[in-house]
Amino acid sequence: MIFSSLIFLFMFLPAVLILYYITPRKFRNLTLFIVDLVFYSWGEPMLVLLMLVSIVINYTAGVLIGINREKKKLTKAIFIISIILNLGLLGFFKYIGFIGETLNFVLPFLNIPVLQVSLPIGISFYTFQTMSYTIDVYRNTVKVQKNIITFGTYVSLFPQLIAGPIVRYEDVAQQLMERRETLEQFTQGVKLFLVGMSKKILIANEMGNLWDAVRDSGASGGAVGAWVGIIAYTFQIYFDFSGYSDMAIGLGRMFGFEFMKNFDYPYISKSITEFWRRWHISLGTWFREYVYIPLGGNRKGLGRQIINIGVVWFLTGLWHGASWNFILWGVYFGVLLMLEKIFLLRLLKKAPAAIAHLYSIFLFVFGWVIFYFEDMGEMGTFIARMFGSDGFMMSGDIIPTVISYIPLLIAAGIISTPLITTLYHKIKSKPVLYAADNAGCILALLLCTSSLVSSSYNPFLYFKF
Amino acid sequence: MKIKKALGYLPAFIFCGFIFTFMALYFALPKADFSPQEKKKLADFPELTVQTVMDGKFQKELDTYMSDHVPLRNFYVGLSADYELVSGRNGEKGIYLGKDGYLFPKPTKDGGQLGKNAGFIREFGDSSPVPVYMTVIPSSGSVNTDKLPFNHESYNDKALTDSFASQLGDNIIYTDMTVPFSEKAKQRQLYYKTDHHWTSGGAYECYRLLGEKMGYDPVAEEDFDKETVSGFYGTSYAKSALWWVAPDSMELWKNRNQPADSVTVEISDGDDSKTGDSYFFRKQLENDDKYPVYLDGNHSLVRVKNKAAKGGKLVVVKDSYAHTIVPFLSQNYSEIIMADLRYYKKDISLLAEQEGADAVLILYSLDNLANDTNLAYLF
Repeated sequence: MIFSSLIFLFMFLPAVLILYYITPRKFRNLTLFIVDLVFYSWGEPMLVLLMLVSIVINYTAGVLIGINREKKKLTKAIFIISIILNLGLLGFFKYIGFIGETLNFVLPFLNIPVLQVSLPIGISFYTFQTMSYTIDVYRNTVKVQKNIITFGTYVSLFPQLIAGPIVRYEDVAQQLMERRETLEQFTQGVKLFLVGMSKKILIANEMGNLWDAVRDSGASGGAVGAWVGIIAYTFQIYFDFSGYSDMAIGLGRMFGFEFMKNFDYPYISKSITEFWRRWHISLGTWFREYVYIPLGGNRKGLGRQIINIGVVWFLTGLWHGASWNFILWGVYFGVLLMLEKIFLLRLLKKAPAAIAHLYSIFLFVFGWVIFYFEDMGEMGTFIARMFGSDGFMMSGDIIPTVISYIPLLIAAGIISTPLITTLYHKIKSKPVLYAADNAGCILALLLCTSSLVSSSYNPFLYFKF
Repeated sequence: MKIKKALGYLPAFIFCGFIFTFMALYFALPKADFSPQEKKKLADFPELTVQTVMDGKFQKELDTYMSDHVPLRNFYVGLSADYELVSGRNGEKGIYLGKDGYLFPKPTKDGGQLGKNAGFIREFGDSSPVPVYMTVIPSSGSVNTDKLPFNHESYNDKALTDSFASQLGDNIIYTDMTVPFSEKAKQRQLYYKTDHHWTSGGAYECYRLLGEKMGYDPVAEEDFDKETVSGFYGTSYAKSALWWVAPDSMELWKNRNQPADSVTVEISDGDDSKTGDSYFFRKQLENDDKYPVYLDGNHSLVRVKNKAAKGGKLVVVKDSYAHTIVPFLSQNYSEIIMADLRYYKKDISLLAEQEGADAVLILYSLDNLANDTNLAYLF
């Protein structure tokens, strides 16, 4: 089930809110756990079993490590087995087809049958969450969770189950066991949820339409069309992902949870290093905490640090998808980050802000080209088009389409910066603030609903027989 | 103080009020089985069993059910259309809002069907023992260029029809409408504002022009009494969802010299049939979409007889645009057999032969001609 759907907004969410708040406090985790399972199994009823298996594995590993705390070798063995099982499940369900194809490509004579496994929704997210728990239990930085319902609630919490943020167990352990939902927090949650939903429905979806139109127009778009298209995609992916994170954090607050911020205006960055501190923060934190620092981080000299950056970014790329372009995308940023570490960052600090912005914008926009095209041939054609292989100007029907999206492109650009938020926080007068809040909520509800409803509106003109 | 504090929580109450009311309305409102506006059967509440839940059927059908029965659906669709318009995306629903309340369907695109259809028609013409006439009606947007919004896709109706006509061969007597219509549009309204069809005035201009080639004397405009009917909301209106756009009025033209009992209309759809004694089916005026008032809308085969007319028998192969012009042609042909290939799946050459037709007229709008795959049924 996705948040931006009629069924979630007007059936699931009201039902869950009622169920949750009529449940006595003691049993609220159980209620959440049950509705989480309904939420997850909505699209794929069978794959919910996989998530339950993952919950059981990590719960058991945690308990066993806790019991055998003194037996160093045993806990290590349990820990390693749980990591292998976690990565094994993720590897099988996400990467088995990719591994087969790659092996066949490198060693064609092997002729390995390529398995077609459908990717369980959110597996990359919940696997990383459960691993954060087991690793932290092993490192003895968090207490063992003995209640499997509480642990299951943590793993399957529907607000952030399928698209993050990746909440570390450590950050919510306290809230899982005792939380006080307040009207204040609920209101904050509602506002953030509506902001996120508007980002997703009113901007991301429309930018997606423009990007589709540009790709469909092919060569007639020329260099200008290609750039407009990839900029639209740049907005689409940001508003889609950050909108989803906002909705997740907002929903979390409605149930008394506080999740970490996942996006912090990444497109205003003045370097790629800064960009990655602002983009998908929870994933970056995870890799830093569980890969980069354990590998030695920056404490073992520049050479080792460069290698560590390489490993982290190869894995970051791979995490995003089972395809070589994602690895290329990860490595692309890995190399940029190394270059910045070695010398670029110092130059950028001295350069005028405009130059640093242009540098960053060009590089992350170009990164989205690599991210989008899984087919290397299509990627090549598109990059060539960006640099003039099909002429400079647009021609034909793509022109009026692009013109019609100019207002939204401008709006997306402005909303990518903290401008609106800054202005909002400058409002000192309470009545104006209330008016802005409530008008904003009503407008967001009406426009998002109308967009959802209208997407299924299709007057059928000739019917008969 | 308390009130002020409560005011701060108002967004939470608005949000919950909205989603809870929405949910309640889903359960409370009576459910229609059929949407007259979208002309489709609406989904029933899905069957809830272990089996349907396990294979995901229930979930999928519940999605359809919820979007089919949204409370206040038209309000939301209209709001989204208005939002699209003010945020710069005129035409997002396939209809442009032009000047003076004109709604224009987006331009016709040819994916190769025009050439195929030209081939079928040429072959039909080559084998037909009687003369075959043809004309193509351009789209409203290509004719009313001064009414188009400033930003729109280009209408290439002239280029498309020219290229189509050039492939028809020597045995089709073709009349171009794009040039004369562009001229005439400056003097009179040839198309409805809220519908893609032409007005009676538009059809009359075509009738006059066709007379030159088909060899009849058109009845003069002064001989017609015009009855005005208001409140016509056409298909472009329904698609656009711009509910505040003003309705059209339509004119029913009647030749005042035509005897009252001279007309019979026989309609048949396979085994069903009905008859009428007028070109106009007034029951259709009760609907928002009043265009079917002309000859009762789309049917497989319609036979229009006029005892008072002097000319012979004419077979018309057509789309819905013909319904407006056939009453005019009927002034000059004693019998017109109108066949719609979307529903009439039999051989037209055979029909013309059996009926002893004196001529065949193929009359299509460009949009249907570029999309219709049924012209193979001509012979």
